[in-house]
Amino acid sequence: MTQAEIIEALLAFIARPDASEAEFEAMALKVFAYQFRNNAPYKRFCLQRGRTPLAVKRWCDIPAVPITAFKDLTLSCCPPEAASHVFMTSGTTQGVRGRSYHPTLAVWQRSMLDNFRARFMRGRARIRMGILFPDDGELPNSSLAHYLSLARRACGTPDSQGFIDAGGLDLDGLLAALARAEAGGEPYALLGASYSFVPVLDALAAQGRRFALPEGSLILDTGGFKGQSRELAPDAFYDALSAAFGVPRDSCINMYGMTELSSQFYDDGNAVCPSVKSGPHWVRSRVVDPLTGADLPDGEGGVLVHHDLAHFNCVSAILTEDAGEIVPGGFLLLGRVDGEASKGCSVAVAEFLAAARG
Amino acid sequence: MIANAGHLPGLSREALRWREVAHGAWGERVVLALPELDAAQAAALCERVRENARERLKQMPVTRIVDAVDAAVARLLDREHPLRRKAEHLLPIVTGYDRETVRLGLTGYLRTFRRPQLLRFLAEDFANPAMLDGFQPAAKGGLLRAQGPELLLHIWAGNVPALSLWSLICGLLVKAGSIGKLASAEPLTAGWFAGLLAEIDPEIGECLAVVWWKGGDAAAEAPFLQAADTVMAYGGNETLAALRAKLPVTTRFLPHGHRIGFGVVAREALDSRKAPALARLAAHDVARYEQQGCYSPQMLFVERGGRVAPAEFAGYLARELAALAHRHPRRALSPGEAAAVAGWRGAQELRGLEGAAELFGEPADPWSVVHVEAAEALSPTGLNRTLKLVAVDDLAAVPALVGPYRAFLQTAGVAAAPERLLRLAERLAAVGVSRIAPLGRMTAPEPGWHHDGRFSLLDLVTLTEIEPGAEAAAEGFAPYAD
Repeated sequence: MTQAEIIEALLAFIARPDASEAEFEAMALKVFAYQFRNNAPYKRFCLQRGRTPLAVKRWCDIPAVPITAFKDLTLSCCPPEAASHVFMTSGTTQGVRGRSYHPTLAVWQRSMLDNFRARFMRGRARIRMGILFPDDGELPNSSLAHYLSLARRACGTPDSQGFIDAGGLDLDGLLAALARAEAGGEPYALLGASYSFVPVLDALAAQGRRFALPEGSLILDTGGFKGQSRELAPDAFYDALSAAFGVPRDSCINMYGMTELSSQFYDDGNAVCPSVKSGPHWVRSRVVDPLTGADLPDGEGGVLVHHDLAHFNCVSAILTEDAGEIVPGGFLLLGRVDGEASKGCSVAVAEFLAAARG
Repeated sequence: MIANAGHLPGLSREALRWREVAHGAWGERVVLALPELDAAQAAALCERVRENARERLKQMPVTRIVDAVDAAVARLLDREHPLRRKAEHLLPIVTGYDRETVRLGLTGYLRTFRRPQLLRFLAEDFANPAMLDGFQPAAKGGLLRAQGPELLLHIWAGNVPALSLWSLICGLLVKAGSIGKLASAEPLTAGWFAGLLAEIDPEIGECLAVVWWKGGDAAAEAPFLQAADTVMAYGGNETLAALRAKLPVTTRFLPHGHRIGFGVVAREALDSRKAPALARLAAHDVARYEQQGCYSPQMLFVERGGRVAPAEFAGYLARELAALAHRHPRRALSPGEAAAVAGWRGAQELRGLEGAAELFGEPADPWSVVHVEAAEALSPTGLNRTLKLVAVDDLAAVPALVGPYRAFLQTAGVAAAPERLLRLAERLAAVGVSRIAPLGRMTAPEPGWHHDGRFSLLDLVTLTEIEPGAEAAAEGFAPYAD
């Protein structure tokens, strides 16, 4: 298949929420064959595992590359210089950032929007948004900036606003917008990185202020705290959001996404933590033993593997560094699995890297 | 079964809260009860230990302490002794290490603390150990007396069996009233040992206590941190920094942070006769305690130009690790540990795709060896029997490859001819390596070892000197003065 053909096939597949398991498998095998042929480092990886398109008959046998590969290797089916967009991870390992190359954002955007509408918008066409993250003009290599900018353009009302730019957080502007929303009675949506909410919560607490946003208002946070703010336990975080903005916890939605994918996962609110997360019909998630790559029984903790067909230009099957557990309706996300300190007194990778960073 | 941890003179079991923690490995389960003291109990315990140390321990000749420690160690070395049997039964379940590793490790380690070795500890740090008992002539003139702290707090970490005994015994040798905080991952041996000492010499037993609190629990640790004169702590830099910030500035703080060990193999050690034996020794160092020790090797630098090439040596290592895995099965790994191994292996595998690394062993094997030909700086592996072998043209390249990580350096296992050993040691010393061991003995430091390059006993004491002038002046006031 050519690039144009695979894009067309994927757009058609994304448009078919009723696609059967067999159809998913057929599409996954097509994408695998495409990546095997066009992505040389991935091909070598597959050959080393003895998994070629001829040998692989089931989607779950498609080799998943460790997420660090996006740092070490150039994983792209098109020549990297032909990519219209390159998304980079915010976290680095010794200065190296993971990269995803996109020759077009057509599939990425279709994937994002269909899923966002289905999981976040709750039936509305548009909602007034406040964005707690810089926009894609400011951070052209950030997939999250693109995600939020697209959400605002496609699903936000014209008076939606961003409140974080190179100058930092515009707290006054945000508080004014929240006050207007509170008074106006129209639902409001506040979206941003999890850590962006923390200084806002702190400021509101310091001022003794809280809002009661109109019924139907929503919050979307994503990405965790990443050392960018103080860490809050999930229950404390959603309690604080709910108290500060008057949005019930079941309307506080957490999006789980990553630069190394072209689709996102959502929960249906965080009334209970950890919440059950799931992806759209063009994505499958598994939980494996990280050492053997073998599937673990449902309910047993392991490492998450995602197969995201929309990530057609790089690698669709990735072994994450996220701990998870398969449960009815999706999976639980149980934090990161890397960076565990040694049980003894030998230095382990995380501490060593932390020291090397200084 | 439930086993109670700790040693708490003056506190009755009923008066304490106990936190029960279950451990399981090798198909068995045990529940440990860890003591949780409230602030008043903690403060009273500190006061009691300090008081007893002042009244009793400080008044004893050091030889009495040596004898008591020797007797306690003798019992733990006796495989028929009930406590030794208990240790061999419970430690594998609690730490996850296999029975043989625990048995061999305990015996090898405990031998470090027999009477002759204890005297060596003393002789290593004190020109005249009698200065722990009274004033002794000093080389510069006058007299010297060494005093250990009245209250020494040990904060132990890690799951290496019985590791706590090193600092506990050192403290006792300088007559320090000692309180040890158990590591959650091995909360047994120190308490047993203290109990044995109390049985053998009840007066000594009154001068030490073994406690537990949840690491970082500010309320629980505060009474101990405030009371101690000296704190000896083990742990990662983050833990140590947090501890240091909580101590009064007048408290002496002796931190032992996490370390990374490495091996160096010279070309003269690489002939077809010596190389396989050397690989066996290196594999032993890797497998013993699953690379959890500060002295455990994570990387091996192997010189080109010997009869056996680095690539071939990597193959020997892989075979030896595979063989060891049968005799000493690897501990069951936690999901985080498994992910660390998988993450490291995955990264090496990717480098292998570019032809930059050669990987031995299958992902599911309980060991991994990766061999790289391009010189590369020291870095940790995934632990739990994951080893990287780096080929170098000349041993002289090694100090520059490890030097940037001075703060993490400690043990180097070296196989080289005498002259080259000395030349290399000189340069390794300059970049911060504090111990050079033979391969095969990296995880078994000798008695009197200068842990992290420091003095085990001398760092604990404070000297009081009577200057020659004071001695001379006193003569003027003697009844027999003219």
